[in-house]
Amino acid sequence: MTRTRTFVLGLMTAVASFPLIILAQATSNVGDNSLADLEARLSDERTLFNVTVNEAPDDDLLELGRLVAMGGAENGGSGMACITCHGGAGAGDGSGAFPRLTGLPGWYSYKQLNDYASGTRPNQIMSGVAQRLTEREREAVSAYYGAMRADHVPTLGVIDQGLLQWGGQLAAVGSAEKGIPACVNCHGPQGTGNPPSVPYLAGQYADYMAYQLELWKDGMRDNDAMNVMSAIAQKMSTEDMRAVSEYYARVANPLTVPE
Amino acid sequence: MADKTLPKTDVVIVGGGWTGLTAAYELAKAGQRCVIVERGKHRHDATSFAGPEEHDELKYALQYKHMMDVKQNTLTFRNNRRQRALPMRRLGSFLPGEGLGGAGIHWNGQIWRPLESDLSMRSHYEARYGADFIPDKLTIQDWGVTYDELEPHFDFFEKVCGAAGFAGNLNGETRKGGNPFEGPRSSEYPTPAMKQPISATLFKEAAERAGLNPFPMPSANVTEKYENPYGAVLHACPYCGFCERFGCGYFAKADPIICVYDRIKDHENFEIRFDSTVLVVNKSEDGKTATGVTYVDADGVEVFQPADIVCMGAYSLWNVHLMLVSGLGKPYDPQSRTGTVGRNYAYQTIAAVDAFFDETITTNPFMGAGALGTIVDDYNGDNFDHSGLDFVGGGYIACKQYNGRPISYQPTPEGTPPWGAEWKQAVRDNYLHHADFVIHGSSASTHENYLDLDPTWTDKFGRPLLRMTFDFPDNDRRMIKHVLDRTIEIAESMDNVVSVSSANLAAEGSNYSIVPYQTTHNVGGAVMGTDPSTSAVNRYGQMWDHHNVFVFGACLFPQNLGYNPTGPLMGLAYWTLEHMKNDYLDNPRPLMDA
Repeated sequence: MTRTRTFVLGLMTAVASFPLIILAQATSNVGDNSLADLEARLSDERTLFNVTVNEAPDDDLLELGRLVAMGGAENGGSGMACITCHGGAGAGDGSGAFPRLTGLPGWYSYKQLNDYASGTRPNQIMSGVAQRLTEREREAVSAYYGAMRADHVPTLGVIDQGLLQWGGQLAAVGSAEKGIPACVNCHGPQGTGNPPSVPYLAGQYADYMAYQLELWKDGMRDNDAMNVMSAIAQKMSTEDMRAVSEYYARVANPLTVPE
Repeated sequence: MADKTLPKTDVVIVGGGWTGLTAAYELAKAGQRCVIVERGKHRHDATSFAGPEEHDELKYALQYKHMMDVKQNTLTFRNNRRQRALPMRRLGSFLPGEGLGGAGIHWNGQIWRPLESDLSMRSHYEARYGADFIPDKLTIQDWGVTYDELEPHFDFFEKVCGAAGFAGNLNGETRKGGNPFEGPRSSEYPTPAMKQPISATLFKEAAERAGLNPFPMPSANVTEKYENPYGAVLHACPYCGFCERFGCGYFAKADPIICVYDRIKDHENFEIRFDSTVLVVNKSEDGKTATGVTYVDADGVEVFQPADIVCMGAYSLWNVHLMLVSGLGKPYDPQSRTGTVGRNYAYQTIAAVDAFFDETITTNPFMGAGALGTIVDDYNGDNFDHSGLDFVGGGYIACKQYNGRPISYQPTPEGTPPWGAEWKQAVRDNYLHHADFVIHGSSASTHENYLDLDPTWTDKFGRPLLRMTFDFPDNDRRMIKHVLDRTIEIAESMDNVVSVSSANLAAEGSNYSIVPYQTTHNVGGAVMGTDPSTSAVNRYGQMWDHHNVFVFGACLFPQNLGYNPTGPLMGLAYWTLEHMKNDYLDNPRPLMDA
């Protein structure tokens, strides 16, 4: 047994695989199942962990996405063009109602549209908009905004530095006292997200994030894969939510701005 | 003589892991002033274990930064009495913890109960197969406590953890989809079973075709928001694949810090002292009771902490070490086969199988969790007929998906070179198309596997090191081969499998090696029972010779189960604590006649 082999194989599995005795068999069961059976199994909710990742978007999809964003769609338009509120590059604004969509993971946005449409993420405006888009159009407009880049809108006004400090602390290490896990656990060390299912926080608008945290806390929004955001938000005070939102609004997100 | 003596406390507890913190919680709430002495440091899930920093495989999985430092503390090892034992200078076969939460921080969260027959192993086998079935070499014995007595305590610990699973026996009614062999559960698991990955789903189908009874592994990686009986709130597991050897920053893997410590740390009866190593349990002049413990604090000062009760909640090996260096109980002598402290040390018997799929099956191994997998328990314990077989015991078969981490998870089929371009290509080809099995087998106790004090090597305090003498009993080699062969049969019958290979750590003709990682399930050495000549503590976890010393942990197991020890040992801990609270505190005395 060479040292190299120990390193490679000895650590191979969580429980040891030190190959003191190796028995090898070759079998072939390929073709026992029809392709349809396999496909059905792979689409099973349990095996998917609730996540589907589509293939890379092509130009047609992006072009369709741009059309949808401009308000053109098969069923006579979405009623409201995305760009009216979110802008052509998805920069949104700081009102709290219009989040930044620029560079969001396509799958994340697509899932949000599906959830708006089904009512899983209820919203008076967006539910109606999403319901009027076809499956393909939801996919296209999500891919389109995912591919866009836009400068951050500077935050305005004066902010309490103690609040920002607290927000940064919640982001980085959470709170042992309150049992709040750190945001960076899932949203990444810089808050730039973890595609396909975890959105960025860095550079998102503070009012939007604080409002979403309130919705998570109230259970109005409950559409993440493992239902963890409600559990986390329920451990946060209004001040905690404001602090972490104001903090992330001031963190630059290099992945969503023009090079 | 200690440098200073502190005011007396009601209870002093050695170690701040699962058992120590739980003892402190229950006894502090019962009005006892508790002091925990912990050799490691404070740490917390939020501040110490958050990703992405925590997801550093090199630092935590390979450099063991959450585990005990063997430069500070270790043991010596040999395979048999004819050899000279040498110190273990690197961690390998097992990974004891250190610091707040102990090994409960880096466990996988596999939360089991013993079978009913496991707890009366000797009498069960003798009744079913005849008085001669168990060979003289084996010192297997009954635990002195029954499943029915422990059931409420297993149940409570599962509620503390928010355990995820599906009951196979609910109040005596067998339910399809669970483990049909388990003892009756008084309630369903607190949270639903984990979602099963593709490899485990194909394993389940193959096992069902073979007439076996697959079910999801019971898991302390909780699957939905859950509040435990102490008020701790846990969150759903995101299947990040960083359980074993890591702390959980998601508050999803139950551990002693978030489940217990956070809920008691501000209580007026609770105190914990970090960076403090207990050197000795002090005895009274007549030797019948303990008077407290002496420890070295963070400043190197030797402190005597007097107490009415001593609870031993260190890792199982170090509990035994502390008993030996303190002169608690009678040390085991393999020559005369007398004495009890150090007797019946046992381990776990492990084998592994790898199955490789064709490219149509994608397994996404990076979506993992410490207790994620599907189990076949048909070959565990005495769930199958042993007549005609030349061994006792058994093990579960798990098709598991713990992690797909970049450094350690590089499964390649048998015949692949161990390095070079061909190896790299094989890793690329197989990473996403692999099923990972473990056979987690029992370990029988023998006259020759034991713990004592090393005659040569000492620790930095001048105490003799613990000496471990262990090799796999032939019984266990035959047992694991039997279950391994069954596992290979199932693996080969799975859809789309193109090759199967296996590794047996307890193969005939090889000695137990302390170098490759196997499992941190060291058990026995201070076993419980009803006969003081074969057990160090009585059936309540109370030392026969010193009635105010209570012992916790896997050192109580008379032999090892085919299951992971945390669930069973915590059931025992709650059983002991119940008897302390209800029967001992008001009237301290031996709870059983010796």
